[in-house]
Amino acid sequence: MKPGRFDLVLAGSCGEAVSLLGGREEAKPVAGSQSLGPMLNLRLARPAVLVDLSTCAELRGVTEEADSVLYGAALTHAEFEDGGLVDATPGWLPQIARRIAYRAVRNRGTVGGSLAHADPAADWVVTLRALGASVLLAGPEGERELALDAFFTGALATALKPGEIIRAVRVPRRGASARWGYWKFCRKLGEFAKASAAVLADPGRGEFAVVAGAIERAPVALPEAQALIEGRADPRVVVEEALPFLPPERRALQATATARAIAALSEGENE
Amino acid sequence: MKTSERGVGASIPRFEDDRYLEGRGRFVGDIRMPNMLEVAFLRSPLAHAEILGVSKPEGAAHQVFTAADLEGVQGIRADSGLPGFRSSVQPILAVDRIRHVNEPIAACVAANRAQAEDLADLTQLEAKPLPAVHDMLKARDKDAPLLHPDWEENAFLESGFEQGIEAAIEKATVTVRRQYRTARQCMSPMEGRGVVAYFDDQADQLVIITSTQMPHIVRNGLAECLGLDQARIRVIAPDVGGGFGYKGILLAEEVVLGWLAMRLRRPMRWIEDRREQLAGNANCREHWYDITGYASADGKLLGVDCEAIVDSGAYSAYPFSACLEAAQVASILPGPYVMEGYRCRTWSVATNKPAILPYRGVARTGVCFAMELVMDDLARELGIEPAEFRRRNLAPAEQMPFVNITGKIFDSGDYVEALDRAVKALDLPALRARQEKGEPDGRLLGVGLSIFCEQGAHGTSVYSGWGIPMVPGYEQATARMTPDGGLELRVGVQSHGQSLETTLAQVANEVLGVEPGKVRLVHGDTALTPYSTGTWGSRCMVMAGGAVAMACEELAERVKAIAAKLLQAEPGQINLADGEARGPSGSVSLSRIGAVWYHAPQDLPDGVDAGGLEATKGYKTVRDTGTFSYACHSALVLVDPETGEVEIERYGIVEDGGVLVNPMVVDGQVWGGAVQGIGTALYEEMPYDSEGQPLATTLADYMLPGAAESPSIAIDHMETPSPISRFGQKGIGESGAIGPPAAIGNAVNDALRGFGARIGQVPITPERVLAALAAGGSQ
Amino acid sequence: MTEFTVNGQPVRYNGEGRTHLADFLREEMGLTATHIGCEQGVCGACTLVKDGKPVRSCITYAAACEGAKIRTLEDYRDDVLMARIRAAFKEHHGLQCGFCTPGMLATAYDIATRLPEADEARIREELAGNLCRCTGYMGIVAAIKAVLAEGPHVAPEPAAREAVIASARFGAAEAPEVVAEAAAAPVVAERPALLTDGHRLERVARIELPAERVWAVLSDIRQVAACMPGASVEAVKGERVTGAMAAKIGPITARFGGTAFVTYEPAEMRGTVAGQGGDGSSRSTARGEVHFALAPSGDAGCELTCEILYKLSGPLAQVGRPAIVAGVVDRLLADFTANVEAAARGEAPTASAPPGFARLILAALRNMVGRST
Repeated sequence: MKPGRFDLVLAGSCGEAVSLLGGREEAKPVAGSQSLGPMLNLRLARPAVLVDLSTCAELRGVTEEADSVLYGAALTHAEFEDGGLVDATPGWLPQIARRIAYRAVRNRGTVGGSLAHADPAADWVVTLRALGASVLLAGPEGERELALDAFFTGALATALKPGEIIRAVRVPRRGASARWGYWKFCRKLGEFAKASAAVLADPGRGEFAVVAGAIERAPVALPEAQALIEGRADPRVVVEEALPFLPPERRALQATATARAIAALSEGENE
Repeated sequence: MKTSERGVGASIPRFEDDRYLEGRGRFVGDIRMPNMLEVAFLRSPLAHAEILGVSKPEGAAHQVFTAADLEGVQGIRADSGLPGFRSSVQPILAVDRIRHVNEPIAACVAANRAQAEDLADLTQLEAKPLPAVHDMLKARDKDAPLLHPDWEENAFLESGFEQGIEAAIEKATVTVRRQYRTARQCMSPMEGRGVVAYFDDQADQLVIITSTQMPHIVRNGLAECLGLDQARIRVIAPDVGGGFGYKGILLAEEVVLGWLAMRLRRPMRWIEDRREQLAGNANCREHWYDITGYASADGKLLGVDCEAIVDSGAYSAYPFSACLEAAQVASILPGPYVMEGYRCRTWSVATNKPAILPYRGVARTGVCFAMELVMDDLARELGIEPAEFRRRNLAPAEQMPFVNITGKIFDSGDYVEALDRAVKALDLPALRARQEKGEPDGRLLGVGLSIFCEQGAHGTSVYSGWGIPMVPGYEQATARMTPDGGLELRVGVQSHGQSLETTLAQVANEVLGVEPGKVRLVHGDTALTPYSTGTWGSRCMVMAGGAVAMACEELAERVKAIAAKLLQAEPGQINLADGEARGPSGSVSLSRIGAVWYHAPQDLPDGVDAGGLEATKGYKTVRDTGTFSYACHSALVLVDPETGEVEIERYGIVEDGGVLVNPMVVDGQVWGGAVQGIGTALYEEMPYDSEGQPLATTLADYMLPGAAESPSIAIDHMETPSPISRFGQKGIGESGAIGPPAAIGNAVNDALRGFGARIGQVPITPERVLAALAAGGSQ
Repeated sequence: MTEFTVNGQPVRYNGEGRTHLADFLREEMGLTATHIGCEQGVCGACTLVKDGKPVRSCITYAAACEGAKIRTLEDYRDDVLMARIRAAFKEHHGLQCGFCTPGMLATAYDIATRLPEADEARIREELAGNLCRCTGYMGIVAAIKAVLAEGPHVAPEPAAREAVIASARFGAAEAPEVVAEAAAAPVVAERPALLTDGHRLERVARIELPAERVWAVLSDIRQVAACMPGASVEAVKGERVTGAMAAKIGPITARFGGTAFVTYEPAEMRGTVAGQGGDGSSRSTARGEVHFALAPSGDAGCELTCEILYKLSGPLAQVGRPAIVAGVVDRLLADFTANVEAAARGEAPTASAPPGFARLILAALRNMVGRST
């Protein structure tokens, strides 16, 4: 199928993108078009205007800050995968990126696009949430920063207002003592995850997180993260209480994902 | 069995490859013609509905065509002659009733596809939804809505077979009864269907270029539907990007495009997109079995009693009809096993789904799943290894040709040997020990086998029995030596991955000694090739291979006669090899012989055959009941009891395809088939909701196995020649796709055994494994 | 106007935004080595090289290729590495029908240059984005292994090119505008039979108000509509309500216009809205029911039970992540109950329109629409 008609305009800068979007519902920002493209081709999404951000230089930089690293929203998954970017973590970002869909998709898909699309099964959505990342948004009313827990409002839903775009993603730095685990269950390599869990243990900063993903809702940070990580809480019990909306069989899978992500953490291995 | 360096038995590289590797293949979507228009269809979003009206968009009514416009065009009818068959007519464009999702309703014509789709968006369908028949098990219920109002029930055909079952039941000490189900699938060749149609005024012919496996059959059907003389239609299959049965059909779209090309006098193109395919053409494999196996205490299989339902969809597709698959179930279920009693009743039921087509393996994949899972459960009841139970009941080699209980004639082979090789390669005792010990990661190890036969190249006596619009007879080929000593072969079958451009050249080399690189295969064009039913039923290498051999033999005689004159020898003294004719003293090249016939007839011998260096010959196997290749598949799986995930650790195939014309090509067929079978076993399913809505209309939802899901597959070849084919070759194209669901199903059940859990349905999804474990644990 | 190069040749694209790169190459430049297999970004047949990297050309739009260097399989005539890969595919029977082959070669070339150490498992992982239905991948994997064994390989510089013949302008002629709105999906405005299956969600909310006050809201269909984000009422005629439900789920927006039938059982403080509607742009229809019931609970409080049943058909129903829709509908239900409570308190609705998958939402909305109208 071919998409319905739309105009595609290229934005040269963040400011230009915001003014091209003009706060209109029918105008949509797009970068790699790897999630939006299929929906356009299927005529399910029918925007009148696409504002393409993929060549916008100011969305493609990396800025090192004392306590974090700022990644331009139009950096591609492959650019993370290939390790050419400064890594705020001890080598975790390339591992996450490598498992997103397929290489040809990773060559075009962007981190900002993935977060803005907010597919609950997406890798960045659950992992960056666990890593305590935030997004810098640019819009008609200026800039603002939102932590990802406030940014994701549901499946495919975010706090982005019409005309607003993600400019950059701020990822806190993690030191050598920090540990990380991520486990996802896919029926087929590269396909949408059926369950996923990301775990962060950063005793240096006193931060612990266990995030449930691919639950067809916004990712949920499980309570008792530290107890889960330290083996003092049962993932089955915590998942049962925290995710009551999941059907029972799906809940069992989520408990397995949680336990396995935690196991990956202690072994220092990620699938 | 390698008989020459470049002939039958040689793994020579393929002549097809270069054009594909350089992107020079010419598929139907690659064809553009001046003034060409593109077609998109308005298709039904509903599965069952009464059409109240179709409104064409204002200002573009002349670009939209509905059933009302198709004056004089007949619907597609494919009746079976079997008693009790209920007939259906598939409208070219829906007339007053819609019977499945994505049925075409209006053809929209524009300068490009996007604009044609815009028109389809603007065309309005007014329809009254009707309750849909979505479950084959409920299709024959008294209160089920009727798809075809003049039918008494939603069944195309009831058929069956019975012999000696009561006695077998009486004798039995062990009985196992099971229900099994296979999912509806979409064959999903990488290239979909597609049609370019134009009217050739000079030839006064409608030309249909279509991605088909059977151009001559398509022409038969088009002539019927369009009311044209066959001579006024030319059907061309260009490069075809995979078929597997998906393109063994007359398409409503072919009829529409042909009609539009004549009506508008402009070339028309329609290329099926993946959504059209998945939403409207998941058309195969959906079977249900209620099967009981009977055995004696000493491990003898006594009988099988079965009721089977095949979901045949809404219409009887041309040419194979809605009868073929279910009727085949009854005739092939016993397979290579010896048994005293057998009964099977089958129903081809009609549902609000696309018409069933025979997919690679046809009914065998489902039948093998049902039969081989019952065999395993009987063995367990008896307390013996499933392999041993099979060994005791397979037809022994010394009984070949073996005639089984339904009268199938197994031409040659040693099934027990195939089984033994598979078991030996597995090292079963070591696996049982490993199983006993348990896996370090907590996963469950299981091992499973399946053994089955594949009847290929079956002909007149089999198909005349079905009484369907297509009965294969003699297969013909034309061989023409060119003036430079090369060879043109013309065959009516169509090659779309089967490598016939290479393997038929090898046959010519075997007979004529012509260098295979100098052989050109002309195929896929009704104007240029002898009539043929086309490429289906694992028949090409046996039938077209036999026909090419016959034509080349005829040519060889004529070549020898000319060579004898040139070499001053007797024809009987001439041998053909390496591109030349060799006599007792000296040799002459084929190019010289060609030059004599065409350019220097004054040098021909007296009494030369006036037919010259061109011959058309017809061929049939010695007996037309088919070659029987067979295989034993073995699967070693690891089941994750927490996720339900099944990983294939090892997959092995012992295969007997008779004499292998090109072993590399055979391996490719078996590998590719096996991965399709793995798709059937673990991944592929088109679910329908209660309103007949297909629920997996993207390739992200309908999962085809990728490289990461596919194991490395070891193939061990046995090569028992078939006594009925020209070189001893057997049809083997479908075999790989038959065995995996049964082998993997048995392996998964072996893994789950300790939990009292059992799978009876493919695909074996994580959800089904977890459900089985939950059910087993609660028993 | 977008300018980029294809196989070294500058092109200027001035056509529609919706034309994807594969269509542009095939239909306007005649470069048919790039095959189209799904247009859903999954099968990989259309994979080609953009700026040195393999990408999907079916979900890359020509107008977005400003400054890009596009290489299709036609461009590798003199490339020694591609020649080696081709020879290996031929030797190891890495192709049968040839349809997936161009995309496979683009990926194989990328593996050969980017991952010289890849083992079989990694090769299979890297091939995950390229589907083949013929070979079972055996020959493809073997071919790539053979090529890697001879490595490491460096991508050769593309051969020097001939001077560009012309700066041809490629692009579609102006297409006629289609101005009309998409036709509505097929719907018949009859009272629908109650759903016997479909998706079902229930939510129970405790409201610290007397049941009568809440019932005053629920028994007024226009107030009910006001509580449902996205719902609008056109007309109320007895128990029959016409209106629409608009919903936005991610990039999908839909508007289900239709009819609903409202029945109240005041004595029981129960009601049902059953409706159906169609969304023209997706040619999808939805049927749905909302059953609500109020029961006094504790002192001066009540319990509101809302149950939604819905069922979609048409393209929106046929792409499958139904759980996403369920999540969206669940949120809608939550917003609705919150709004009913607010309305009963005399406050304006607070909950915003839910995001989520449009289809299901739409279905739910449509149910609500019926009711609210």
